[in-house]
Amino acid sequence: MSEHEFKIVFTGPMGAGKTTAIAAISDEPPVSTDVVNTDRAAFDKPETTAGLDYGRIALDGGASVRLYGTPGQLRYRFLWDILGSNAAGVIVLIDAAQADALVQLDAFVDAFGGGRRAPIVVGIGRSGQSGALPLDAFAQRLESHGLTLPVFGVDVRRRDDVLLLVDTLLCLLELDDASRRTA
Amino acid sequence: MSAVPRFGRVATGVAQKHLESFAQMTPGVMSAVLLSADGFEVASLQVGRGGAARLAAMGSSLSAIGSAIAKEAGIVECSRMIIESDSGTVVIMNIPDARPPLSLAIVAGDGGVLGQLLWAAKNCCIAIARAFRE
Repeated sequence: MSEHEFKIVFTGPMGAGKTTAIAAISDEPPVSTDVVNTDRAAFDKPETTAGLDYGRIALDGGASVRLYGTPGQLRYRFLWDILGSNAAGVIVLIDAAQADALVQLDAFVDAFGGGRRAPIVVGIGRSGQSGALPLDAFAQRLESHGLTLPVFGVDVRRRDDVLLLVDTLLCLLELDDASRRTA
Repeated sequence: MSAVPRFGRVATGVAQKHLESFAQMTPGVMSAVLLSADGFEVASLQVGRGGAARLAAMGSSLSAIGSAIAKEAGIVECSRMIIESDSGTVVIMNIPDARPPLSLAIVAGDGGVLGQLLWAAKNCCIAIARAFRE
């Protein structure tokens, strides 16, 4: 990987908006591996990701970010490890309206190293929706596990919202880099 | 994780019979899993319970990635993928026109001939497709 090329992984449960988020910011049409969803009881949507999503964005100064999306279901756990390997950072997307949103947060943050292997930024969707958990609940949940991770409310269809997550992750990477240089 | 109720007991029962006769008549077949495109086991043969679920999930990922690569390369559609090693072969073959989309994952040892395996697997897929259309 080039010094100015970053690999970022979008992860989170089925229906959290990983494919949509990558499509919202990718400079080129994203690669999608969506297939027919036969498990409408788990999440009522026509398609689901069975392999990966891939997109790319160019940054100022010649740097670029490769964007990878994981499938959300636990049966694809093996791909989380494959796609997470060598990632510079991870964006965990959670749907606040899903009943087990806090458990999902724990599971995905833990599966990707809790921020110890690579920085993690958390994007919470639908937090303003009736019956959904408020944003604070997610930050408090992380704090209860001794984790301080950036948590943002996002609409993954909005480019600016998704770019905020990516920019925050890149800032964390720069901070890590700077602290390593001064250590 | 089995998805039999979603796919119909009759069709999955017929598919199971086709898998059994395929394995009996084809040298080298060690195990096989009929899987949905989104990674559920529909029917399986000679695989432990956990193994079938894992093979179903991995097979669906490979099939989906194969289709994406085929599309990227402009060859439109991926009908099968073959993974070969010194000690065996894994074949992921799409079931033609199945609704919902299905694939067959086959693990074979080094005792068989690849051409024979592919020919028999294709016939098995056609027979399974018929079961899921009827």
